[in-house]
Amino acid sequence: MRRAAGALILLLSLMAAVGSRQSAIAGIFPTADCRLPTAAIRLVQAKNPFAIAGREGGAPASGLGATLLAWQEKFNRELQQAAKALKAGDGAFWTLAAASFAYGVFHAAGPGHGKAVLASYMIASRIALRRGVILAALAALLQGGVAIALVGLAAALLGATATTMKAVAERIEVASYAAIALVGLNLVWKKGDALFSTLRASCAPGPSRSGLYCEAVDAGAAQCGPDCGHQHAIDPTRLQRGVFSSEALGAVVAAGLRPCSGAILILVFTLAQGVFWAGIAATLCMAAGTALTTAALAAVAVFARRRAEAWSAAGRAWTGVALRGAEFAAAALVLLLGVVLLAGWSSGA
Amino acid sequence: MSRRLAPLAALLLPLLLAGGAAFAHPHVWVAVRSEVVFGPEGKILGIRHAWEFDEMYSAYAVQGLGKDGKPPTREELAPLAKTNVESLAEFEFFTFAKEAGAKLKFKEPVEVSLESDEKKIVTLRFFLPLETPIPAQKPFSFQVYDPTYFVSFGFEKETPVKLAKAPSGCSVSLVEPKPLAAEENKKLTEAFFQNFSPGADFGIKLATRAIVACP
Repeated sequence: MRRAAGALILLLSLMAAVGSRQSAIAGIFPTADCRLPTAAIRLVQAKNPFAIAGREGGAPASGLGATLLAWQEKFNRELQQAAKALKAGDGAFWTLAAASFAYGVFHAAGPGHGKAVLASYMIASRIALRRGVILAALAALLQGGVAIALVGLAAALLGATATTMKAVAERIEVASYAAIALVGLNLVWKKGDALFSTLRASCAPGPSRSGLYCEAVDAGAAQCGPDCGHQHAIDPTRLQRGVFSSEALGAVVAAGLRPCSGAILILVFTLAQGVFWAGIAATLCMAAGTALTTAALAAVAVFARRRAEAWSAAGRAWTGVALRGAEFAAAALVLLLGVVLLAGWSSGA
Repeated sequence: MSRRLAPLAALLLPLLLAGGAAFAHPHVWVAVRSEVVFGPEGKILGIRHAWEFDEMYSAYAVQGLGKDGKPPTREELAPLAKTNVESLAEFEFFTFAKEAGAKLKFKEPVEVSLESDEKKIVTLRFFLPLETPIPAQKPFSFQVYDPTYFVSFGFEKETPVKLAKAPSGCSVSLVEPKPLAAEENKKLTEAFFQNFSPGADFGIKLATRAIVACP
């Protein structure tokens, strides 16, 4: 029972991971005659006329959000005020830093495929808590860095206009979609293989009567008993590749490549006020705030994954299959997300 | 520690993400001034909008434009105006009009311009013609909002909606939305589940409705 609960929770988490992008996923299914909210799908796919960095928005309201909405407007206003005060030489730097940090924390809690990618990646891969937190922080830092590079190079140095920056931001966006699709493809490849092996292993008659679940990472593990020399438990150290493995970096790029509009706006605003350095500082504070929220999300994903693993580790073969199935589903979701986002872009281009 | 906390954390994940969906908030603010334009036969032809942007978006719009620190000209802002207006149709021009409860359709905007004032605050102006002009005897109403709430639209405080060439006796009134938080908080549990499907949203919930009535 507890094992079933473990698998259930993992699946629930998965569903939640894409919950915010649900309508985008629904977009690939034929919606012409069914009652799916096609308008909402179109809006998720559509580009806001006043967009700063591509497609944005698309969230339904809720009671929780209503209460916090006022705070966010407040942070945003505070950012503007502080940037102007700085220009006037009122030494509002710390106000700006604090407002940016708070903005980052709350902004990161918003919907975004970046977080869906990170959470799904962490559910699909066995990664340690510390590594998950570092990856989330790196993604946040990358996001801030891209915004600084974009506005710093294009606007501050080359005097680019909004139209140009928008075009560049859109290219970066498409690149991030491609990165998501690639990360998804890689995960699907690996997790599909693992699922297939586990399925074969769990169907094998005889030796597995002992009830020992066989961790069938390689295909040759089909005939496997307690004494066949294969590994029967997951050895966490074996799975801890460096933080900078190409797979992990791929996930960071996929999640963090797209710059956020808030950062671009504050950077351009401070540039116009002649205090561009303050904009850079504000963006870094924002990234720190974002890192805090995404790291918390990463920690939750890692815990969920670990819990489900513990429940299934000592169990019968089917829980192992369920776990592998959930991993595969997480991998497939990342791929699906990438494909849907790319399809949305190409249909709009 | 993790043995006890982990299931809790696992359960919190959906909450965190669902809550996340509710954290969407505007990046762009627009103060709206609209004019309901009547034709010679007293029919409503369409709406003339003037959307004034906030300081941040304005700074973004005029970035790299204008000579010697002066605000940019209309011509300089034309490319951005074009991009802005091109994608308006996908969002139904952010203008949702009804005649006696029936939804009305608009044609592509005309007379589009983006201008900057001395303080470098930009305003987007355009005329949004109705697909077919309608007689004004039935109540005509419209709202301006972004369903995705990326842009927060709000009517200007003073005379936000005017009537142009209206027959005598026509009047316009504004209906403010109900205060959001008080009402919404009661629906917290319900809203949690609603989050998983695109449903009602802030954009519409916060939108003022302008109602035009003619004798």
